[in-house]
Order: sequence, then C-alpha cells, then structure tokens
Amino acid sequence: MTATTSPRLKTATYGGWRTRLGRAVLPYFLIFPTFALILTFTLWPTVSAAMQSTIRTPSSARMAPRFVGLQNYIDLFTPTTEVGQTFPRVFVGTLVFAGVTVPISMGLSFLLAVMLNRKIRGLGFFRFAFFYPVVIPLIGAGSIFSFIFADNIGLLNTVLRSFGVQTHPWLGDATWAPIAVMMVAIWKQTGFYMILYLAGLQSLPTDVYEAADLDGANSWVKTTRITLPLLSGTTLFVLTTAAANAFQMVDQLYALGEGAPADRSNLMLYFIFQRYNERANTGYVNAITVILLVILLAFTLFNFIVIERKVYYEN
Amino acid sequence: MLLKRLNVLLIVALVLAAFAGLTTTRAQSATEVLFYYPTAVGGPISQVIEGYAAEFNAANPDVKVTAVFAGGYADIYKAVDTALKGGGQGPDVAIFLTTDMYSLIDNDYIIPLDDFIKAMPNGEAYLKDFFPAFLLNSQAFGQTWGIPFQRSTPVLYYNKTLFKENGLDPEKAPANWQELRDFAAKLTTPERWGLLIPSEGFPYWLFQGFAIGNGQNLVGEESNKVYFNTPSTVEALEYFANLSLKDGVMPKGIIKWGDTPADFWSGKAAMIYHTTGSLTNILKNANFEVGVGYLPAGKVGYGAPTGGGNLYILKSSPAEKQAAAWRWIQFLTTPEKQADWTVATGYIAARQAAWQTETLKKLVAEKPQYAVARDQLQYAAKELSTHRGSDVQRLFAVAVHSVLLGEKDAKTALDEAQAAAEALLAEFQN
Repeated sequence: MTATTSPRLKTATYGGWRTRLGRAVLPYFLIFPTFALILTFTLWPTVSAAMQSTIRTPSSARMAPRFVGLQNYIDLFTPTTEVGQTFPRVFVGTLVFAGVTVPISMGLSFLLAVMLNRKIRGLGFFRFAFFYPVVIPLIGAGSIFSFIFADNIGLLNTVLRSFGVQTHPWLGDATWAPIAVMMVAIWKQTGFYMILYLAGLQSLPTDVYEAADLDGANSWVKTTRITLPLLSGTTLFVLTTAAANAFQMVDQLYALGEGAPADRSNLMLYFIFQRYNERANTGYVNAITVILLVILLAFTLFNFIVIERKVYYEN
Repeated sequence: MLLKRLNVLLIVALVLAAFAGLTTTRAQSATEVLFYYPTAVGGPISQVIEGYAAEFNAANPDVKVTAVFAGGYADIYKAVDTALKGGGQGPDVAIFLTTDMYSLIDNDYIIPLDDFIKAMPNGEAYLKDFFPAFLLNSQAFGQTWGIPFQRSTPVLYYNKTLFKENGLDPEKAPANWQELRDFAAKLTTPERWGLLIPSEGFPYWLFQGFAIGNGQNLVGEESNKVYFNTPSTVEALEYFANLSLKDGVMPKGIIKWGDTPADFWSGKAAMIYHTTGSLTNILKNANFEVGVGYLPAGKVGYGAPTGGGNLYILKSSPAEKQAAAWRWIQFLTTPEKQADWTVATGYIAARQAAWQTETLKKLVAEKPQYAVARDQLQYAAKELSTHRGSDVQRLFAVAVHSVLLGEKDAKTALDEAQAAAEALLAEFQN
C-alpha cells in the first residue's frame, strides 16, 4: 500500500505544477487526433460550403468568381432560372420522401420485430430474409427494382396484368415514379431498423409482462402500454438515424430514371450530384448543401431537446 | 521488445520501398501514357481496349499506354473534373462525350489538336477522311479539339415478322412521320406497342431527329445559342407527344432508355428508336428478322444527330506525354482498328477508309443493317452541344417531360426552356 502511494506523493511535492499542467493539457492532447479529423473533414467543409454558397462562379476558368450574397438561394426558388425550374419541386419532394419513408419503415420494422421475437419455425430464415436487403448496395437494389418496375416486361406489371389489374408506367409517371423510389427505400432499410428493434425487444424485462398477464392484459395492451414505452430509447435512435438516412438515400435514383419525369422523383442530394460538374453551378450546389444541413441539424436538435425528455432509459 | 519489433518492421518496409523505387525507375525509360475510357454499350469492351493497348505497346517500345476503365461517361468526367479542380493529375488522354467539348474548353482541361495534325505528313487527308457529320461536334472556334472514336447515331429498328403479319412490306421502313404513325397504329394491340421512342434522361438526342427533319436543328454553329421554340420544332414536339397522348401508339409517360431494346426483342414493341450502338445486342437477342431504317423524314427530309465519344488530350499532361498520347490516338483511328472496333461494338467506324477494309466489307455483306447507320450520316447534323451543355440539355428534357405528361402544351414548354437557356448562355460571347 505504502509502496504505491509514496511515488505519487513525491510527484505532488516536487513536480506539482508539471502534473497540474499535464492534467490540464492531457485531455486536449488525447482528443486532438479525432478532433483534427473532424475539423478537416466535417467542420471545415461545412464552413467552406457556407462561404461558397454566396459566390457565383463564372463558367470559364479564365474569369474570377464574384460575391453575390444570398442570390444563389433566391435563384433556387425562382422559376425562370435553370435550377429554379425544378428545385422547389425537388425540395418539397425530399421532405415528402422523408415524411413518408421514415414513419412507414419504422412502423413496419417494429411490426416485423414483434412478429420475429417469438419462437416460430424457421425463425432464423425469416430474420435473415428481412435483413437481407440491408446488405445489398443501394444501387444494386435500384437496379433490381428497375427491372421490377419496367413498363412492358417488368415483373410488377406482368403480375398485375395476369390479375387483370390496371398497370402503370411506374418510373415514367408523375404520380408513381416518386412512390416507386420510396418503395425501394422502405424495402431497403426496414430490415436494419427491425434488427435494432429486435435487439431492444430482447433486452426487455420479463417480469412486467408476467405482471400484465396476471392482470389479464391482452397482447394489444401489452404492446402499446408496455413494449412501446419501454422501447422509446430505441425509437428515438431509429428515428434520428432514419431521418438522416432519408436525406442521404439517393443512389437508387441512378438506376430508377435519375429523377424523371422532370425531377418529380428527384431528391436534393442527387440534384446536387447531377449539377456539381458545371463550374457555374458551384454556388448553387453549395447553397443546397447548406439547406440540407440546416434541415438535418434542426431535426436532430428537435429530436434531442423535445423528444428525449419523454424517452425511457433502463438505467 | 515492442520497439525492437517495430524497428525490424520499419527496416523491412524501407528495403521493400527501395526495391519498388528501383523497379519503377527502370520502367520509366518509356513514356507512360494514362488513358481513361468509359463504356456505354454492352460487350467485352475492356478486353478489346486492353488488347489494343498491348498491341500498341509492343509496336512502340518507347511508349507505355495504360488503359483504365473508368466507369460511364459521367463517371470519367467527374473523376477528371475532381482531380483537376483539386490541383491533382488526371489522365493524359481520355474519351469524353462529344457534347462535353465546350465544358472541357471552358474549364481549360483540353488542348486543341491542330498542331499535331499539321505535323503529320498527311494531316489534312487524315482529318478529311472522318465523316463530316462526326467532325461537327469535334471542332469549335476554328480548331479541332477531339478525334471521333466511339460514335453513333440513332436509327429505327423494326420487326420484319410483325410487318409481314400485319400486311406491311417488311423491306420498307416507315419513310416519313405520316407512315410512322400509320404503321404504328396498325401494329399496336392490347399486348404490344406499335412504337417506342425512349424519353428518359436526355430526350433531346432522339428528339433531334424530329427537329432536324422538320427544318431546324436545336443547335446551330454558335456555342451560345439554341433553337428550342422555332415553329417547326414546336410542331415536331406536338407530333411526338401526340404519338402517346392522342394516337395511342406509344405508352403514356416517360419511356425508359434501357428497357426499350428488350421490349423490342421480346415482341412487346414492333418499332423502336435507339442508338446504333445497340445493333449488335439486338441482332443477338431477337429471334425474328430485324429491319433497320433511317429515322422517318419530317417536312424537309431525313435527319438525325450523331452521338458518342471523342478522344481528347488533357492540358495538364506534360508535352512529351501529349505527343505520345497523340500517337496512341492515331493508332486507335487507323482504318483497320476502326473496322475492328465496329465489329466488336456496333459503333460506326468514324473514318470512311475503314469501310473499304475487308473486315467491314464482309460485315456489311453479311449484315446489311450495319450500313444503314453509316448511310444515314449524310443527313446527320450537330448534336445539341453548347456551353454549360448538361444544364442546357436538362432544360430541354424538363420541357419534353412536361409536355409528355400533359402538363403544358408544346409551345409554352419550349418558350420557357428557350428563355431559361438564353439566360444561362447570356454570359458567353460564342
């Protein structure tokens, strides 16, 4: 005991200032590598995007860029400019995409998790089957669905036709193309959230359910009154992830008609991808990036400030 | 102990690095040329290109061409654009779309090739041997910036068996718009469309066939001007949209580019518009006799755009590599290589001399369909290419789509597209 404490005392006596300085500096020293990465690849690009969103780059490399204030943002919502023709539509479309795919995939994944959280024959197979879309690359999923949605020879229309149901040019129609894109996104991500819910379900205490059984509660009551509230932590996590994902899931568009018709099924991130090659669009794509960031930040903050108060954590 | 192990590792790594350094210096005695190429059609393209590179390297020991398959056209452009904007090094020579030419010039990415051509013993004859239609999208501001390599044009494919069954002459493709609509109506059944003209992505390309045939191309000589809303083009778009909206011989909505060939060979469509680049694939998959015709004529006659990619030399490349790259370009455009390329891919050999080779004479004798696209070139005009090319093309796509969806009439949509395009192009002096 004394052997271990005495050297400590020694340092305290002779090297006190050094230790104190060390203690003050050490944390910064330790987080420095991580922080340097975040600074280089997250914070600086964000600032840089905000700065460049106020610049108009000329089309030719031989002319100098100029400061235009908020003009790029205004152009995005002015219907006579090239970007403004369809950007408002893409902006609303992206919000609708998030507003529809997030609740549906969350609801479905919860349902699947509850169903696959009991002892049934072939449980492993079903869990695998529902999780499988998650491991397929998004662009691969898009390619698969481009065959399913194909107009004349597509799987979906062939099936519909054999039942005598009205077929649609899924990817070529103003109403159905955005729905088709959402369907792929839901199919792709539901399995992932299902696994999260499944993990949550398996860590739930059994005693409350036993108590509920004694009280004669049916499974609806148990699900809504016990399971859902106990899983609110998982739900918050899934919600935040799903919302962020909804603004990032765009790869499938490459295979599903690149936002056709007339940007009806397009999403903001893909809109950026389509335009950033033209030098003159630099200001616009940075402005859209800033808009995307603001939406995401606002949503995340809302989640953590408002919703987290109502969340149950086990410990 | 740990430190010692680390030291050993470090020494091993250093020794290996030194060896690697030695081997690379030795190989550097030959001028290394980096070549990026895309694929846009089916088939074993990279095997073919790598075969060419090996052949060239064997014949030219002082040059070493490394051919890199770099994705689709858009991927290559993005890769090079990102590298050069960031101050990095791109390839020395690459294939980009012909319509990328103005953007490549505006960004200062490529060099004009006139000095190389002048230095050739037969430079003028070399350039003249390319089909004039292919040079329209290769020259600008009085200079030549790209050399035609994988070039195409749209044609009409039709199912001869279905023509026979429906009382049409299988040797005659529809000659004009009237016939196109009438034939398509005869061929349309509840299970089959008479005609499919893809409108997805960049519909300007196939539509240019209508615009040119009706009197006014969408683009002229100038690089800062488009002609979207001339009365002849408004009329053409009305005709085009009515094929689905009124005549019912095409499905409503947007028709996907990639699905169309399969619709054709599976018998779901009797006639389609598509690129000549699909010919090899269609002939392989169709179990009926495939007819190929010119795009049907409008008011003033036949008309079609050209398409595809050119070979460009990058400005960021050092002079000696540029010179070596030029030798590689000459090799790829010899009549023999062009003929071989046509057989392998279905692209139209860009040099007229290539069609005099035994290879292509034999191909045309066996499959006369290959000659149709070549012969249509006499009616071909410039592909829609201006400054800010992809933005301008997109404006036209939005106009076409809103008409196909029945949201706007052709005149309104094209007037809006024209105004927006003029606003984009206002800053350019030509």
